[in-house]
Amino acid sequence: MEIILTSLFGALRLCAMLFCIIVPLTMFYEFVKSRQAALAAQERTFMGLSGKGLIPLVTGIIIGITYGAGVIIHSIRSTDIDKDEAFLILLYLSVCHAMIEDTLIFVVIGANGLILIGARFFLATLLTYAVYRVRLHRRR
Amino acid sequence: MSTSTAETLKKGFLNGLSVTVEMVKVIVPFYLLVEVARHFGIIKLIGGFFGPSMHLFGLPGEGALVLIAGYTANMYAAIAVLSPLHLSSRDVTTIALMLGIAHSLTVETPITKKTGVSASFMLLVRIVLSLLSGMALNLIWKLF
Repeated sequence: MEIILTSLFGALRLCAMLFCIIVPLTMFYEFVKSRQAALAAQERTFMGLSGKGLIPLVTGIIIGITYGAGVIIHSIRSTDIDKDEAFLILLYLSVCHAMIEDTLIFVVIGANGLILIGARFFLATLLTYAVYRVRLHRRR
Repeated sequence: MSTSTAETLKKGFLNGLSVTVEMVKVIVPFYLLVEVARHFGIIKLIGGFFGPSMHLFGLPGEGALVLIAGYTANMYAAIAVLSPLHLSSRDVTTIALMLGIAHSLTVETPITKKTGVSASFMLLVRIVLSLLSGMALNLIWKLF
């Protein structure tokens, strides 16, 4: 019986810590979503991604795939982002998404956040750039 | 402008509450289950079974449970399993990197599909990259 009480206490304490991370984040997410128009105006290409492609990309990196799904699906479908670009965006996001939340919830129980963020950005950029170059090469 | 910002923040707060409710529903049962199983030595048995395969990532066998929970269910389930195991900071970082790259695959793969991109390819990329990064980080840890 005692084991159940102590573990229940442990579980609730963990939930309380995560609550303190999640609520400020979801408030921040809503704020970012409401300011998205400013991002769309950017004219820049990097790794084959256009300014329009930056909306789903940045949304995914900051907010994540599950919570940002609405924005990601909508912005890919409703603009003229082509299939190749959508592929690159999803490729990048598959490795590097929900960077704030995923990192913080593991830092709470002892992970090294710098390694987590650094490694995921590095891997995602490397992978996306490699696929972009290979495709560029094939097309010629 | 200020009212719309306040409304945005309020919406964010309410979202946060509903995420927390979902999270508590996942964490409490998983956490209790693992803690009780650990108490009766069941976790050690399972850990022994997965020990050899987890050796690739420099993790104790119990790490397999965390990885399975994260890949199939979600990050909260993984945390609920991970927390009562009291692993070292090194092991937690390895697991967090592996799960950061591939997690909640049952939820996120259908979302990927909806964007019109090949979901099975993404699934493969994520799992392979997750396993490789775990092995790579293990090698890097060994250098220090």
